[in-house]
Amino acid sequence: MVDRYAVRSLLTAVVMTLAVAASAQTTSPALPRTPDGKPDFSGIWQVMNTAAWDIQDHSAQSGVPAGIGVVVGNEIPYKPEALAKKRRNYDDRATADPETKCYLPGVPRVMYMPYPFQIFQKPGQMTMLFEYVHATRYIYTDGTQHPDGHIDWWMGDSRGRWEGDTLVVDVVDFNEDTWFDRAGNFHSDELHLVERFTALDRDHITYEVTVEDSKVFTRPWRMSMILYRHREPNLQLLEYDCFGFDNAFHPPVPQSQ
Amino acid sequence: MTRLLAGIVIGLVLADAVSAQQAPPPPPKAAPPPGWIDPRNPPKEDSAFTPARTPDGQPNFEGEWAQASDIITYSIEDPELERAEHTAISGQRPMVGRPIIDPIDGKIPYQPWAAKYAAFLHEQHRKPSSVKYLDPVSRGFQEGIPRINYQGTFVIQQFPGTVLMTYDYHHTYRVIPLDGRPHIGKDIKLWMGDSRGRWEGNTLVVDVANNNDQTWLQIVGGFHSDVFHVVERWTLTAPDHIVYLATIDDAKVYSRPWTLRVDFRRQKVEEQWESAIWEGNKTPEIVSGGGEK
Repeated sequence: MVDRYAVRSLLTAVVMTLAVAASAQTTSPALPRTPDGKPDFSGIWQVMNTAAWDIQDHSAQSGVPAGIGVVVGNEIPYKPEALAKKRRNYDDRATADPETKCYLPGVPRVMYMPYPFQIFQKPGQMTMLFEYVHATRYIYTDGTQHPDGHIDWWMGDSRGRWEGDTLVVDVVDFNEDTWFDRAGNFHSDELHLVERFTALDRDHITYEVTVEDSKVFTRPWRMSMILYRHREPNLQLLEYDCFGFDNAFHPPVPQSQ
Repeated sequence: MTRLLAGIVIGLVLADAVSAQQAPPPPPKAAPPPGWIDPRNPPKEDSAFTPARTPDGQPNFEGEWAQASDIITYSIEDPELERAEHTAISGQRPMVGRPIIDPIDGKIPYQPWAAKYAAFLHEQHRKPSSVKYLDPVSRGFQEGIPRINYQGTFVIQQFPGTVLMTYDYHHTYRVIPLDGRPHIGKDIKLWMGDSRGRWEGNTLVVDVANNNDQTWLQIVGGFHSDVFHVVERWTLTAPDHIVYLATIDDAKVYSRPWTLRVDFRRQKVEEQWESAIWEGNKTPEIVSGGGEK
């Protein structure tokens, strides 16, 4: 004797379970996770935008692709005297841009330069390795605070924490010698960043950064872009040590007697 | 940190130039530092030691390490003259580490023509006639393998399929894949070479190819060509001790393959703070009288 009510209840339960599972899958489609349950950002990443040239909207020039900017709302709220400096920087960019001297490019600039970077992830630390001048970032996610400052660092001091599935990184301790791009956008040593890394799916990360610097800007402003995972088999970081390029100054290694 | 490191390099070079005019005094007798390991006469290893494992089954080398063999990058070859000279110019106690264990004389086995060029570079190091003859690391370039391993402290992290080494000096890093992939194409040359690793029992064996011809093994020269090839063997012999052997060949420059040994001791793990080298380096300007960098 079959209990119809029981069968119907069972079917309902199965259908509901499937529906819940399906909805869970659409909100979080097979996001890779580390053993401690955090989104796994391990891999080789790179932007596909033109922020390296200019973080704002810009037309094409010789050697510069046109681009839709990454600044949210496109306007950067410079103080009047800072805007004047930005314009001077732009005019002098061929020699004044710190990138032309191969210096460590600072953050966030290193994140959107046209070179790949690699993320390694442990519970207490994210290690970011960059092909450009073999720069590194160590993002401590072990609950530690910034060291007593101020410290003048090219790449700043990064302390991260997880808000759900978003890695939030607070960065301070910058010097005033790096720019945001090749168009002269700049900051002071009071630069304070809050970066947010959110997995869009396994191969894309939404990267947002809030920029605060009361010496240069009238209010905080934001950039937003996407990091793309490299999926070429056997891809690896190479080297872009531009300070070692000038072969005229290298020791002439004799190749034979 | 940048200024400090640049200052040390400048001090070395300038002091070198001064010392060339006077005979170096004999080195003071200093006791080896505690924990020092003589690479040429190492203690017996405990062959029964079995290292702990990472979750994916690799022998666990994770942590912070520094060489305990008292090797200085000034010279890895000559235990008498170089140490005496270095003591005279820097005031530091003589370093006694002699990492080259094969050949037995502790010298790089150059081919005859290459020995002449090495002697020229050695002479140049005291007062380079051009920045071309200044130690590439003093100029701000990357160290190459194996020199970075005796430069300072470094951190090893292990991941499934990869060993990662991050060095304090000049934010240098090495990513060592363990998945058996081939080296990159021979036309790509790198300051730090191209590393491929594999486990042989408890030993990490790393084959380093694709090296450029611009790095030196020491401040006083120690050159090689672009066929320079290194096979490293990293063995954890005790929880806090790594024995490192690097076998080096370069058919264009050396008469035979040769081997150096470095012992690493575990350090307290510390955050790796920024070591900007290129950005503050004034040595090339000073050496060249303000001209080329």
